[in-house]
Amino acid sequence: MRDVYLVGVGQTRYGKLSSTLREAAAEASLAALDRAGLEPTALDGAFLSNAFGLVERQGHLGPLVMTALGVPEVPCTSIEAACASGSSAFREAFVNVAGGFADTMLAVGVEKVSQLDTVTATSYFSYGSDYVYEGACGASFPGLYATMATAHMKKHGTTEEQLAAVAVKAHENAASNPKAHFQKKITLDDVMKSMVVASPLKLYDCCPFSDGAAAAILTTKEKAQALGAPLIRVAGSGRAGAIASLPDRPDLTTVPSTRVAADQALKMAKKTVADIDFFEVHDCFTIAEVVATEDLGLFKRGEGARAAADGATRVDGKRPVNPSGGLKAKGHPVGATGLGQINEVFDQLTGKAGGRQVANAKTALTHNVGATGGSCAVHMFERSN
Amino acid sequence: MAASEAFTMQQAKEALRDGKLMGWKCTTCGHTQATPMLVCPVDRKRAIEGVELPPTGQVVSFTVQNVSSEEYINDIPFAFVVVELDNKVRVSGWLPYVAKAADLPLGTKVRFTPSYKPGVQFEKA
Repeated sequence: MRDVYLVGVGQTRYGKLSSTLREAAAEASLAALDRAGLEPTALDGAFLSNAFGLVERQGHLGPLVMTALGVPEVPCTSIEAACASGSSAFREAFVNVAGGFADTMLAVGVEKVSQLDTVTATSYFSYGSDYVYEGACGASFPGLYATMATAHMKKHGTTEEQLAAVAVKAHENAASNPKAHFQKKITLDDVMKSMVVASPLKLYDCCPFSDGAAAAILTTKEKAQALGAPLIRVAGSGRAGAIASLPDRPDLTTVPSTRVAADQALKMAKKTVADIDFFEVHDCFTIAEVVATEDLGLFKRGEGARAAADGATRVDGKRPVNPSGGLKAKGHPVGATGLGQINEVFDQLTGKAGGRQVANAKTALTHNVGATGGSCAVHMFERSN
Repeated sequence: MAASEAFTMQQAKEALRDGKLMGWKCTTCGHTQATPMLVCPVDRKRAIEGVELPPTGQVVSFTVQNVSSEEYINDIPFAFVVVELDNKVRVSGWLPYVAKAADLPLGTKVRFTPSYKPGVQFEKA
Protein backbone atom coordinates (compact mmCIF):
# COMPACT_ATOMS: atom_id res chain seq x y z
CA MET A 1 0.00 0.00 0.00
CA ARG A 2 1.35 3.44 -0.94
CA ASP A 3 1.45 6.42 1.41
CA VAL A 4 -1.28 8.96 0.61
CA TYR A 5 -1.07 12.71 1.20
CA LEU A 6 -3.74 15.40 1.59
CA VAL A 7 -2.50 18.30 -0.53
CA GLY A 8 -5.50 20.59 -0.83
CA VAL A 9 -8.96 21.31 0.54
CA GLY A 10 -11.72 23.72 -0.36
CA GLN A 11 -15.25 24.46 0.73
CA THR A 12 -18.10 26.85 0.16
CA ARG A 13 -19.67 28.80 2.98
CA TYR A 14 -22.18 26.62 4.86
CA GLY A 15 -25.76 27.87 5.25
CA LYS A 16 -28.18 28.88 2.54
CA LEU A 17 -26.63 28.92 -0.94
CA SER A 18 -28.17 30.23 -4.15
CA SER A 19 -25.91 28.09 -6.35
CA THR A 20 -26.96 24.69 -7.71
CA LEU A 21 -25.45 21.38 -6.59
CA ARG A 22 -23.03 21.20 -9.51
CA GLU A 23 -21.91 24.82 -9.10
CA ALA A 24 -21.28 24.44 -5.36
CA ALA A 25 -19.40 21.15 -5.88
CA ALA A 26 -17.28 22.64 -8.67
CA GLU A 27 -16.52 25.75 -6.59
CA ALA A 28 -15.27 23.66 -3.65
CA SER A 29 -13.30 21.38 -5.99
CA LEU A 30 -11.56 24.29 -7.71
CA ALA A 31 -10.72 25.85 -4.35
CA ALA A 32 -9.14 22.54 -3.27
CA LEU A 33 -7.18 22.24 -6.54
CA ASP A 34 -6.00 25.86 -6.20
CA ARG A 35 -4.83 25.25 -2.66
CA ALA A 36 -2.85 22.23 -3.89
CA GLY A 37 -1.46 24.20 -6.82
CA LEU A 38 -3.04 21.84 -9.36
CA GLU A 39 -5.24 22.18 -12.44
CA PRO A 40 -8.29 19.90 -12.94
CA THR A 41 -6.33 18.04 -15.64
CA ALA A 42 -4.14 16.60 -12.86
CA LEU A 43 -7.07 14.45 -11.67
CA ASP A 44 -7.13 10.74 -12.43
CA GLY A 45 -10.58 10.30 -10.97
CA ALA A 46 -13.13 11.54 -8.47
CA PHE A 47 -15.77 10.44 -5.97
CA LEU A 48 -18.74 12.65 -5.26
CA SER A 49 -20.82 12.38 -2.10
CA ASN A 50 -24.42 13.51 -2.00
CA ALA A 51 -27.49 12.22 -0.19
CA PHE A 52 -30.46 14.29 -1.36
CA GLY A 53 -29.71 15.21 -4.98
CA LEU A 54 -33.19 14.19 -6.02
CA VAL A 55 -34.48 17.27 -4.14
CA GLU A 56 -33.00 19.18 -7.10
CA ARG A 57 -34.35 16.49 -9.49
CA GLN A 58 -30.77 15.51 -10.24
CA GLY A 59 -29.13 12.12 -10.13
CA HIS A 60 -25.78 11.13 -11.66
CA LEU A 61 -24.24 14.37 -10.51
CA GLY A 62 -20.57 13.36 -10.91
CA PRO A 63 -20.18 13.86 -14.68
CA LEU A 64 -21.92 17.24 -14.43
CA VAL A 65 -19.37 18.44 -11.90
CA MET A 66 -16.43 17.11 -13.90
CA THR A 67 -17.82 18.79 -17.01
CA ALA A 68 -18.13 22.07 -15.10
CA LEU A 69 -14.49 21.62 -14.09
CA GLY A 70 -13.52 21.33 -17.77
CA VAL A 71 -12.49 17.67 -17.50
CA PRO A 72 -15.53 15.64 -18.63
CA GLU A 73 -13.24 12.69 -19.39
CA VAL A 74 -12.38 12.20 -15.70
CA PRO A 75 -14.55 9.47 -14.12
CA CYS A 76 -16.60 10.50 -11.09
CA THR A 77 -18.67 8.02 -9.09
CA SER A 78 -21.34 9.02 -6.58
CA ILE A 79 -21.15 7.65 -3.05
CA GLU A 80 -24.06 7.63 -0.61
CA ALA A 81 -23.73 6.65 3.03
CA ALA A 82 -26.23 9.13 4.51
CA CYS A 83 -24.40 11.64 6.73
CA ALA A 84 -21.14 9.66 6.34
CA SER A 85 -21.17 10.10 2.56
CA GLY A 86 -18.33 12.66 2.52
CA SER A 87 -15.85 10.59 4.51
CA SER A 88 -16.87 7.49 2.57
CA ALA A 89 -16.06 9.25 -0.73
CA PHE A 90 -12.74 10.32 0.83
CA ARG A 91 -12.09 6.72 1.82
CA GLU A 92 -12.62 5.50 -1.76
CA ALA A 93 -10.31 8.21 -3.12
CA PHE A 94 -7.72 7.17 -0.52
CA VAL A 95 -8.06 3.50 -1.50
CA ASN A 96 -7.51 4.35 -5.18
CA VAL A 97 -4.27 6.23 -4.48
CA ALA A 98 -3.04 3.78 -1.83
CA GLY A 99 -3.73 0.83 -4.11
CA GLY A 100 -1.92 2.36 -7.06
CA PHE A 101 -4.98 2.65 -9.29
CA ALA A 102 -4.62 6.43 -9.45
CA ASP A 103 -2.08 9.06 -8.43
CA THR A 104 -4.28 12.09 -7.85
CA MET A 105 -7.91 11.88 -6.74
CA LEU A 106 -10.65 14.35 -5.85
CA ALA A 107 -13.29 13.70 -3.21
CA VAL A 108 -16.07 16.27 -3.27
CA GLY A 109 -19.31 16.38 -1.29
CA VAL A 110 -22.32 18.60 -1.75
CA GLU A 111 -25.82 19.11 -0.37
CA LYS A 112 -28.57 21.60 -0.97
CA VAL A 113 -31.79 21.36 1.02
CA SER A 114 -32.54 24.95 2.04
CA GLN A 115 -35.30 25.20 -0.56
CA LEU A 116 -37.31 22.73 1.56
CA ASP A 117 -39.52 23.74 4.48
CA THR A 118 -38.82 22.10 7.86
CA VAL A 119 -41.51 19.40 7.57
CA THR A 120 -40.40 18.39 4.07
CA ALA A 121 -36.72 18.38 5.03
CA THR A 122 -37.54 16.35 8.16
CA SER A 123 -39.39 13.86 5.92
CA TYR A 124 -36.50 13.54 3.44
CA PHE A 125 -33.98 13.04 6.23
CA SER A 126 -36.17 10.34 7.81
CA TYR A 127 -35.69 8.30 4.62
CA GLY A 128 -32.09 7.84 5.83
CA SER A 129 -33.37 5.89 8.86
CA ASP A 130 -34.59 2.28 8.64
CA TYR A 131 -37.75 3.87 7.30
CA VAL A 132 -40.27 1.07 7.82
CA TYR A 133 -39.20 0.53 11.43
CA GLU A 134 -38.15 4.07 12.42
CA GLY A 135 -39.32 6.85 10.08
CA ALA A 136 -42.72 5.26 9.46
CA CYS A 137 -43.14 4.95 13.24
CA GLY A 138 -42.85 8.73 13.39
CA ALA A 139 -39.16 9.04 14.23
CA SER A 140 -37.35 12.06 12.88
CA PHE A 141 -33.54 12.19 13.09
CA PRO A 142 -33.68 14.42 16.16
CA GLY A 143 -36.14 11.81 17.51
CA LEU A 144 -33.74 8.90 16.96
CA TYR A 145 -30.82 10.68 18.65
CA ALA A 146 -33.18 11.89 21.38
CA THR A 147 -34.06 8.24 22.03
CA MET A 148 -30.32 7.57 22.46
CA ALA A 149 -30.11 10.61 24.77
CA THR A 150 -32.98 9.35 26.95
CA ALA A 151 -31.16 6.02 27.31
CA HIS A 152 -27.83 7.77 28.07
CA MET A 153 -29.43 9.95 30.75
CA LYS A 154 -31.05 6.91 32.35
CA LYS A 155 -27.88 4.77 32.29
CA HIS A 156 -25.26 7.39 33.14
CA GLY A 157 -27.10 10.29 34.77
CA THR A 158 -26.23 12.66 31.92
CA THR A 159 -28.15 15.93 32.27
CA GLU A 160 -29.77 18.30 29.79
CA GLU A 161 -27.49 21.09 31.07
CA GLN A 162 -24.39 19.02 30.27
CA LEU A 163 -25.69 18.41 26.74
CA ALA A 164 -26.37 22.15 26.41
CA ALA A 165 -22.71 22.84 27.24
CA VAL A 166 -21.73 20.92 24.09
CA ALA A 167 -23.85 23.32 22.01
CA VAL A 168 -22.41 26.43 23.71
CA LYS A 169 -18.86 25.22 22.95
CA ALA A 170 -19.78 24.45 19.33
CA HIS A 171 -21.18 27.94 18.75
CA GLU A 172 -18.15 29.52 20.41
CA ASN A 173 -15.83 27.73 17.97
CA ALA A 174 -18.03 28.40 14.94
CA ALA A 175 -18.04 32.11 15.77
CA SER A 176 -14.43 32.23 14.56
CA ASN A 177 -15.06 30.06 11.48
CA PRO A 178 -15.89 32.29 8.49
CA LYS A 179 -17.41 29.31 6.61
CA ALA A 180 -19.79 28.35 9.44
CA HIS A 181 -23.58 28.35 9.15
CA PHE A 182 -23.90 29.93 12.62
CA GLN A 183 -21.40 32.55 13.68
CA LYS A 184 -22.91 33.72 16.92
CA LYS A 185 -22.16 32.66 20.46
CA ILE A 186 -24.99 31.35 22.63
CA THR A 187 -25.45 30.80 26.37
CA LEU A 188 -26.56 27.78 28.38
CA ASP A 189 -29.76 29.66 29.04
CA ASP A 190 -30.38 30.10 25.29
CA VAL A 191 -30.14 26.33 24.83
CA MET A 192 -32.25 25.42 27.84
CA LYS A 193 -35.02 27.86 26.87
CA SER A 194 -35.15 26.87 23.20
CA MET A 195 -38.14 24.82 22.05
CA VAL A 196 -38.17 21.07 22.62
CA VAL A 197 -37.79 19.45 19.18
CA ALA A 198 -37.66 15.86 20.47
CA SER A 199 -37.30 15.44 24.22
CA PRO A 200 -34.75 15.83 25.74
CA LEU A 201 -33.23 17.59 22.69
CA LYS A 202 -34.04 21.24 22.20
CA LEU A 203 -33.57 23.39 19.11
CA TYR A 204 -30.02 24.38 20.06
CA ASP A 205 -29.08 20.73 20.69
CA CYS A 206 -29.68 20.11 16.97
CA CYS A 207 -27.61 20.85 13.88
CA PRO A 208 -29.26 22.97 11.18
CA PHE A 209 -30.29 21.91 7.68
CA SER A 210 -27.37 23.40 5.71
CA ASP A 211 -26.36 23.81 2.10
CA GLY A 212 -22.67 23.52 1.32
CA ALA A 213 -19.89 21.77 -0.54
CA ALA A 214 -16.44 20.60 0.53
CA ALA A 215 -13.58 18.92 -1.32
CA ALA A 216 -10.18 17.33 -0.77
CA ILE A 217 -7.31 16.35 -3.07
CA LEU A 218 -5.24 13.23 -2.39
CA THR A 219 -2.00 12.26 -4.08
CA THR A 220 1.18 10.23 -3.75
CA LYS A 221 4.19 11.15 -1.63
CA GLU A 222 6.31 11.91 -4.69
CA LYS A 223 3.71 14.26 -6.15
CA ALA A 224 3.04 15.92 -2.79
CA GLN A 225 6.74 16.58 -2.34
CA ALA A 226 7.00 17.97 -5.88
CA LEU A 227 4.15 20.40 -5.10
CA GLY A 228 6.08 21.78 -2.16
CA ALA A 229 2.83 21.51 -0.23
CA PRO A 230 2.61 20.97 3.52
CA LEU A 231 3.03 17.22 3.96
CA ILE A 232 -0.11 15.93 5.61
CA ARG A 233 -0.23 12.16 5.48
CA VAL A 234 -3.48 10.22 5.69
CA ALA A 235 -1.95 7.96 8.30
CA GLY A 236 -5.02 5.80 8.90
CA SER A 237 -8.37 5.02 7.34
CA GLY A 238 -11.17 2.96 8.89
CA ARG A 239 -14.64 2.12 7.69
CA ALA A 240 -17.27 0.10 9.50
CA GLY A 241 -20.92 -0.80 9.50
CA ALA A 242 -23.31 -1.70 12.30
CA ILE A 243 -26.96 -2.58 12.88
CA ALA A 244 -28.81 0.35 11.33
CA SER A 245 -32.07 0.11 13.23
CA LEU A 246 -32.23 1.30 16.86
CA PRO A 247 -34.67 -1.38 18.09
CA ASP A 248 -32.28 -4.14 16.98
CA ARG A 249 -29.44 -2.76 19.12
CA PRO A 250 -28.93 -4.13 22.60
CA ASP A 251 -27.44 -0.83 23.85
CA LEU A 252 -28.68 2.59 22.73
CA THR A 253 -25.86 4.50 24.43
CA THR A 254 -23.07 3.48 22.04
CA VAL A 255 -22.42 3.38 18.27
CA PRO A 256 -20.45 0.15 17.66
CA SER A 257 -19.23 1.16 14.18
CA THR A 258 -17.30 4.08 15.70
CA ARG A 259 -15.07 1.79 17.74
CA VAL A 260 -14.43 -0.60 14.85
CA ALA A 261 -13.59 2.16 12.34
CA ALA A 262 -11.41 3.99 14.87
CA ASP A 263 -9.51 0.81 15.75
CA GLN A 264 -8.81 0.20 12.04
CA ALA A 265 -7.60 3.76 11.45
CA LEU A 266 -5.43 3.92 14.58
CA LYS A 267 -3.92 0.48 13.91
CA MET A 268 -3.00 1.52 10.38
CA ALA A 269 -1.47 4.74 11.74
CA LYS A 270 0.27 2.88 14.59
CA LYS A 271 -1.17 5.46 16.99
CA THR A 272 -3.43 5.55 20.01
CA VAL A 273 -6.11 8.09 20.85
CA ALA A 274 -3.63 9.68 23.27
CA ASP A 275 -1.45 10.64 20.28
CA ILE A 276 -4.18 12.78 18.66
CA ASP A 277 -4.03 16.58 19.12
CA PHE A 278 -7.66 17.28 18.20
CA PHE A 279 -10.81 15.57 16.94
CA GLU A 280 -13.53 16.45 14.45
CA VAL A 281 -16.38 14.13 15.46
CA HIS A 282 -19.93 13.62 14.25
CA ASP A 283 -22.07 15.94 16.40
CA CYS A 284 -25.34 16.18 14.48
CA PHE A 285 -26.85 16.51 17.95
CA THR A 286 -25.16 17.29 21.27
CA ILE A 287 -25.71 13.71 22.45
CA ALA A 288 -23.94 12.45 19.31
CA GLU A 289 -20.73 14.27 20.30
CA VAL A 290 -20.95 12.86 23.82
CA VAL A 291 -21.43 9.29 22.57
CA ALA A 292 -18.63 9.72 19.98
CA THR A 293 -16.11 10.95 22.55
CA GLU A 294 -16.93 7.96 24.75
CA ASP A 295 -16.84 5.43 21.88
CA LEU A 296 -13.50 6.85 20.68
CA GLY A 297 -12.10 6.47 24.19
CA LEU A 298 -11.46 10.16 24.90
CA PHE A 299 -13.46 9.77 28.09
CA LYS A 300 -14.71 6.84 30.12
CA ARG A 301 -18.15 5.51 29.32
CA GLY A 302 -20.80 7.74 30.80
CA GLU A 303 -18.40 10.62 31.47
CA GLY A 304 -18.47 12.35 28.07
CA ALA A 305 -21.13 14.89 28.91
CA ARG A 306 -19.57 15.84 32.24
CA ALA A 307 -16.15 16.22 30.57
CA ALA A 308 -17.67 18.56 27.98
CA ALA A 309 -19.41 20.60 30.68
CA ASP A 310 -16.08 20.84 32.53
CA GLY A 311 -14.40 22.36 29.43
CA ALA A 312 -12.23 19.38 28.45
CA THR A 313 -13.33 19.57 24.79
CA ARG A 314 -12.76 23.29 24.25
CA VAL A 315 -10.08 24.44 21.79
CA ASP A 316 -7.79 25.11 24.77
CA GLY A 317 -9.00 22.04 26.70
CA LYS A 318 -7.26 18.72 27.31
CA ARG A 319 -9.09 17.04 24.41
CA PRO A 320 -10.15 19.62 21.78
CA VAL A 321 -13.26 18.39 19.96
CA ASN A 322 -14.80 20.05 16.92
CA PRO A 323 -12.79 23.27 16.75
CA SER A 324 -14.61 23.99 13.45
CA GLY A 325 -17.89 24.36 15.34
CA GLY A 326 -18.90 20.85 14.27
CA LEU A 327 -22.06 19.80 12.48
CA LYS A 328 -23.93 21.47 15.32
CA ALA A 329 -22.77 25.04 14.57
CA LYS A 330 -20.52 25.00 11.51
CA GLY A 331 -23.45 23.23 9.84
CA HIS A 332 -24.38 19.87 8.32
CA PRO A 333 -24.68 19.83 4.52
CA VAL A 334 -25.04 16.03 4.65
CA GLY A 335 -23.00 14.97 1.61
CA ALA A 336 -20.29 17.56 2.31
CA THR A 337 -19.94 17.14 6.06
CA GLY A 338 -17.21 14.49 6.21
CA LEU A 339 -15.08 16.44 3.73
CA GLY A 340 -15.76 19.65 5.67
CA GLN A 341 -14.20 17.95 8.70
CA ILE A 342 -11.11 17.26 6.58
CA ASN A 343 -11.03 20.94 5.55
CA GLU A 344 -10.74 21.78 9.24
CA VAL A 345 -7.90 19.27 9.64
CA PHE A 346 -5.98 20.94 6.80
CA ASP A 347 -6.55 24.43 8.24
CA GLN A 348 -5.51 23.33 11.72
CA LEU A 349 -2.43 21.33 10.67
CA THR A 350 -1.24 24.23 8.51
CA GLY A 351 -1.83 26.79 11.28
CA LYS A 352 -4.57 28.62 9.35
CA ALA A 353 -7.47 28.19 11.77
CA GLY A 354 -7.38 31.72 13.19
CA GLY A 355 -9.29 32.22 16.44
CA ARG A 356 -10.12 28.52 16.74
CA GLN A 357 -6.53 27.28 16.19
CA VAL A 358 -5.52 24.32 18.36
CA ALA A 359 -2.00 25.18 19.56
CA ASN A 360 0.79 23.11 17.93
CA ALA A 361 -1.62 20.69 16.26
CA LYS A 362 0.31 18.01 14.36
CA THR A 363 -2.16 15.10 14.43
CA ALA A 364 -5.93 14.93 13.94
CA LEU A 365 -8.74 12.39 13.77
CA THR A 366 -12.03 12.73 11.88
CA HIS A 367 -15.13 10.69 12.73
CA ASN A 368 -18.20 10.75 10.50
CA VAL A 369 -21.38 8.72 11.09
CA GLY A 370 -24.16 7.78 8.67
CA ALA A 371 -27.65 7.86 10.19
CA THR A 372 -27.43 6.55 13.77
CA GLY A 373 -24.30 4.48 13.08
CA GLY A 374 -25.14 2.11 10.25
CA SER A 375 -22.14 3.66 8.51
CA CYS A 376 -18.99 5.10 10.04
CA ALA A 377 -15.66 6.32 8.67
CA VAL A 378 -12.67 7.41 10.73
CA HIS A 379 -9.49 8.96 9.35
CA MET A 380 -6.26 9.91 11.06
CA PHE A 381 -3.93 12.64 9.75
CA GLU A 382 -0.36 13.56 10.58
CA ARG A 383 1.70 16.58 9.57
CA SER A 384 5.17 15.34 8.71
CA ASN A 385 7.08 18.53 7.82
CA MET B 1 -35.23 -22.70 3.54
CA ALA B 2 -35.39 -21.56 -0.08
CA ALA B 3 -35.61 -17.82 -0.69
CA SER B 4 -39.08 -18.19 -2.23
CA GLU B 5 -40.40 -19.44 1.13
CA ALA B 6 -38.96 -16.54 3.12
CA PHE B 7 -41.33 -14.64 5.38
CA THR B 8 -41.74 -11.27 3.71
CA MET B 9 -42.17 -7.69 4.86
CA GLN B 10 -45.44 -7.65 2.92
CA GLN B 11 -46.71 -10.60 5.00
CA ALA B 12 -45.63 -8.83 8.18
CA LYS B 13 -47.44 -5.68 7.09
CA GLU B 14 -50.66 -7.59 6.37
CA ALA B 15 -50.42 -9.38 9.72
CA LEU B 16 -49.98 -6.02 11.47
CA ARG B 17 -53.30 -4.85 10.04
CA ASP B 18 -54.90 -8.10 11.26
CA GLY B 19 -53.65 -7.37 14.77
CA LYS B 20 -50.54 -9.56 14.82
CA LEU B 21 -47.08 -8.20 15.51
CA MET B 22 -44.62 -10.33 13.57
CA GLY B 23 -40.86 -10.78 13.53
CA TRP B 24 -38.15 -13.03 12.10
CA LYS B 25 -36.67 -15.96 14.03
CA CYS B 26 -33.57 -18.07 13.42
CA THR B 27 -34.68 -21.67 13.94
CA THR B 28 -31.15 -22.87 14.69
CA CYS B 29 -30.07 -20.40 17.42
CA GLY B 30 -33.39 -18.80 18.32
CA HIS B 31 -32.29 -15.19 17.67
CA THR B 32 -35.41 -13.15 16.95
CA GLN B 33 -35.71 -9.62 15.66
CA ALA B 34 -38.45 -7.29 14.47
CA THR B 35 -36.67 -6.35 11.24
CA PRO B 36 -36.20 -8.70 8.29
CA MET B 37 -33.29 -11.09 7.94
CA LEU B 38 -32.49 -13.75 5.36
CA VAL B 39 -29.35 -14.76 7.24
CA CYS B 40 -29.13 -14.70 11.04
CA PRO B 41 -26.61 -12.05 12.23
CA VAL B 42 -25.80 -14.16 15.31
CA ASP B 43 -25.03 -17.65 13.97
CA ARG B 44 -25.03 -16.65 10.24
CA LYS B 45 -27.37 -19.53 9.40
CA ARG B 46 -30.18 -19.26 6.86
CA ALA B 47 -32.98 -21.13 8.64
CA ILE B 48 -35.26 -18.13 9.19
CA GLU B 49 -39.02 -18.13 9.70
CA GLY B 50 -41.73 -15.62 10.51
CA VAL B 51 -42.86 -15.64 14.14
CA GLU B 52 -45.62 -13.87 16.04
CA LEU B 53 -44.27 -11.56 18.74
CA PRO B 54 -45.96 -10.92 22.08
CA PRO B 55 -48.15 -7.80 21.95
CA THR B 56 -47.05 -6.38 25.30
CA GLY B 57 -43.82 -5.05 26.75
CA GLN B 58 -42.22 -2.06 28.40
CA VAL B 59 -40.74 1.21 27.15
CA VAL B 60 -36.92 1.08 27.32
CA SER B 61 -36.35 4.44 25.65
CA PHE B 62 -38.38 7.13 23.91
CA THR B 63 -38.67 10.71 22.81
CA VAL B 64 -41.62 13.07 22.66
CA GLN B 65 -41.55 14.78 19.27
CA ASN B 66 -42.91 18.25 18.65
CA VAL B 67 -41.54 18.35 15.10
CA SER B 68 -42.32 15.52 12.70
CA SER B 69 -42.21 14.34 9.12
CA GLU B 70 -45.23 14.86 6.87
CA GLU B 71 -46.69 11.45 7.77
CA TYR B 72 -47.15 12.44 11.43
CA ILE B 73 -47.80 16.16 11.08
CA ASN B 74 -51.34 15.82 12.50
CA ASP B 75 -50.17 13.64 15.39
CA ILE B 76 -47.65 15.89 17.18
CA PRO B 77 -46.89 15.79 19.99
CA PHE B 78 -46.47 12.01 20.21
CA ALA B 79 -43.86 9.58 21.50
CA PHE B 80 -41.51 7.46 19.39
CA VAL B 81 -40.72 4.45 21.54
CA VAL B 82 -38.34 1.51 21.72
CA VAL B 83 -40.22 -1.30 23.44
CA GLU B 84 -38.80 -4.46 24.95
CA LEU B 85 -41.50 -7.06 24.42
CA ASP B 86 -42.27 -9.73 27.02
CA ASN B 87 -39.95 -12.18 25.16
CA LYS B 88 -37.09 -9.58 25.34
CA VAL B 89 -37.22 -8.80 21.61
CA ARG B 90 -37.13 -5.05 20.95
CA VAL B 91 -39.39 -3.24 18.52
CA SER B 92 -39.87 0.41 17.71
CA GLY B 93 -43.20 2.12 17.44
CA TRP B 94 -45.16 5.18 18.40
CA LEU B 95 -47.60 6.21 21.10
CA PRO B 96 -50.17 8.91 20.36
CA TYR B 97 -51.33 11.54 22.85
CA VAL B 98 -48.08 11.89 24.79
CA ALA B 99 -47.36 15.59 25.20
CA LYS B 100 -44.30 15.64 27.43
CA ALA B 101 -41.53 13.35 28.61
CA ALA B 102 -42.85 13.24 32.18
CA ASP B 103 -46.02 11.55 30.90
CA LEU B 104 -44.13 8.41 29.88
CA PRO B 105 -41.78 7.08 32.58
CA LEU B 106 -39.24 4.50 31.39
CA GLY B 107 -40.62 1.06 32.14
CA THR B 108 -44.20 2.02 31.25
CA LYS B 109 -46.13 -1.10 30.17
CA VAL B 110 -47.51 -0.83 26.65
CA ARG B 111 -49.58 -2.97 24.29
CA PHE B 112 -49.51 -3.16 20.49
CA THR B 113 -52.67 -1.86 18.85
CA PRO B 114 -53.59 -2.08 15.13
CA SER B 115 -53.64 1.28 13.38
CA TYR B 116 -54.33 2.94 10.05
CA LYS B 117 -50.82 4.42 10.28
CA PRO B 118 -47.87 2.69 8.60
CA GLY B 119 -45.83 2.23 11.80
CA VAL B 120 -46.33 0.00 14.82
CA GLN B 121 -48.66 1.75 17.24
CA PHE B 122 -48.74 1.13 20.99
CA GLU B 123 -51.08 2.18 23.79
CA LYS B 124 -50.47 2.20 27.52
CA ALA B 125 -51.34 -1.28 28.87
